[in-house]
Amino acid sequence: MKRSDVAVAGLLIGFAGFIFLEGRRLPLGSLRVPQTGFFPSILAALLALFAGALLFQAWRTADSAGGAETLEPRSWVRIGAALAAMAFFALALESAGFFLTTFLLMTLLLRAIEAQRWSKVIPIALATALVSYAIFGMLLGIPLPAGFLGI
Amino acid sequence: MDVFTNVAVGFSVALTPTNLLFCFIGSLVGTLVGVLPGLGPVGAVAFLLSLTFKMEPATAIIMLAGIYYGAMYGGSTTSILVNIPGETASVVTCLDGYRMARQGRAGAALGMAAFGSFIAGTFGVIGLMFLAPILGRAALRFGPPEYFALTLIGLTLVAYLSQGSMLKALIMTILGLLAGTVGMDPISGEERFTFGSLTLQDGLGLVPVAMGLFGIAEVLENLAGASTQSIYETKIKGLLPNAQDWRDSGWPIARGSVLGFLLGILPGPGPVIASFVSYAMEKRLSRHPEKFGTGMIEGVAGPESANNSATAGSFIPLLSLGIPTSAMMALFMGALMIHGIQPGPLFIAKYPELFWGFIASMYIGNVMLLVLNLPLIGIWVRVLKTPYTILFPLILLFCLIGVYTLNSNTMEIFIMLIFGVAGFLLRRFGFEGAPFILAMVLGPVMETSLRQTLLISRGSFAIFYTRPICAVLMALTLVFLIYPLFRGKKNG
Repeated sequence: MKRSDVAVAGLLIGFAGFIFLEGRRLPLGSLRVPQTGFFPSILAALLALFAGALLFQAWRTADSAGGAETLEPRSWVRIGAALAAMAFFALALESAGFFLTTFLLMTLLLRAIEAQRWSKVIPIALATALVSYAIFGMLLGIPLPAGFLGI
Repeated sequence: MDVFTNVAVGFSVALTPTNLLFCFIGSLVGTLVGVLPGLGPVGAVAFLLSLTFKMEPATAIIMLAGIYYGAMYGGSTTSILVNIPGETASVVTCLDGYRMARQGRAGAALGMAAFGSFIAGTFGVIGLMFLAPILGRAALRFGPPEYFALTLIGLTLVAYLSQGSMLKALIMTILGLLAGTVGMDPISGEERFTFGSLTLQDGLGLVPVAMGLFGIAEVLENLAGASTQSIYETKIKGLLPNAQDWRDSGWPIARGSVLGFLLGILPGPGPVIASFVSYAMEKRLSRHPEKFGTGMIEGVAGPESANNSATAGSFIPLLSLGIPTSAMMALFMGALMIHGIQPGPLFIAKYPELFWGFIASMYIGNVMLLVLNLPLIGIWVRVLKTPYTILFPLILLFCLIGVYTLNSNTMEIFIMLIFGVAGFLLRRFGFEGAPFILAMVLGPVMETSLRQTLLISRGSFAIFYTRPICAVLMALTLVFLIYPLFRGKKNG
């Protein structure tokens, strides 16, 4: 039994059920006049069918922890830090403005993931914020949020 | 107008200073993307899609196409010098290209990869020029049943040709089709699966989803592993292959050009498959198959030609039928639709200047790439030495800016992050992103044609096997679905 596939198949069957229930709120129509819920309902049924096949297949294969190689805790920290930095960018962009948010994002990514020296981090983060503002905001004329700094 | 008049019109479009500049920018960025491991051409095109809003449609598609074939050129550089393919279509080039570099023949390998790419790329463009209009005219007779059958066989073939398990690819296809149903119903305009979100009313955006699945997921994958790459320190000299190199590479280039073009037309990752098939074919035809993998120039010339020819071939179904056959073509479809242009049978007749301008730009782009790749190899090598710790924050920043500038909506950044995490996890469990993105784009076409077909036939499915083209396509779909069950392969 390939445990990762069993887990994924279980999740997919649950998701198919969710789509099916959500789809029931939409008018289904008939074969002659199919309506809004018709196509999603077919897809939910097919998803459940294929996920069932995956579950059956995983059940039959030899017992294993399965699928993906396990990651070291350090890798998860790096991935988590990158995601957190990007989520911060999305949350802070409109209030803090493009320049400051970009500078902080670069600082976070450069410091948190590989712990580079501050003497390297600050110039790179500053240069990236300036150059990207010049390219996107000034050269390409893309409206970027100004924030309290005005840029 | 005959073909030559059309080509002349095309060159008059492609040779305008703006289009020349953006053709150059596209080729340059494409080569850079191909050279740098960490951001594939799909992620790069998705990122730059948002910057094309203000451009003329011809300029936009010329630049994006430049990125696509530029990446094919650039990908070979990393394969040969670092033994790390810049993009998947250059994986096979590592086998002999890197060996050649170790033997001090990096220059010949890089040179032949560039010349082979140029010759095959030009061949592919000529094929595209002649075949797309013919297929476009034939497709004018297609109705909703044929379109449904065409989308169905397209998605089935992509799943069939996927690199991993076909069952998992089919699951990704269904999930992609479901993602395509989010937003307004294409026929009634009724809202589906929007959960009260204004952002979702227009459906899931192609750019945030593609950048998540291909851009962010790729970076997360690299962060997960300890990427330590070293460039083979060698002095690159003699970029012009010698007479013996040309004798050895002539037929592999010719075969790779034809094979790549034909495989490029089929749904699926055409350039990737073309490069592998070409390598296998050259090995089979060689008098010294045992030497493949030890630094044979045929093993570089054939696959590099095949993947470039395939890029041109892959435009044919999109431009003549309106059916994208890969994630990259799905993005091109999105790029055209942003400008209100629907690719399909009427595309060439309605927008001759756009189509022929695009064709002409590909000739020009191929010349530019030859010029870029050979003399600038020293610069690409230096670029390659950029530490990943500096590179990945820049890639992430570009993804964030690219998605935000689409609609100035931070919700779309979160959509990208969700698909980035999903893409990363799914990859680790053997699920590929390409069938998902393709199905998401084709979903509305498929649903509309299915519902229209059922309206025409009054609910009877007999229509699918009483119309000849449709019957053939449905029969082929069935074969591709059933064959793996009997073959007992690709289902693990």
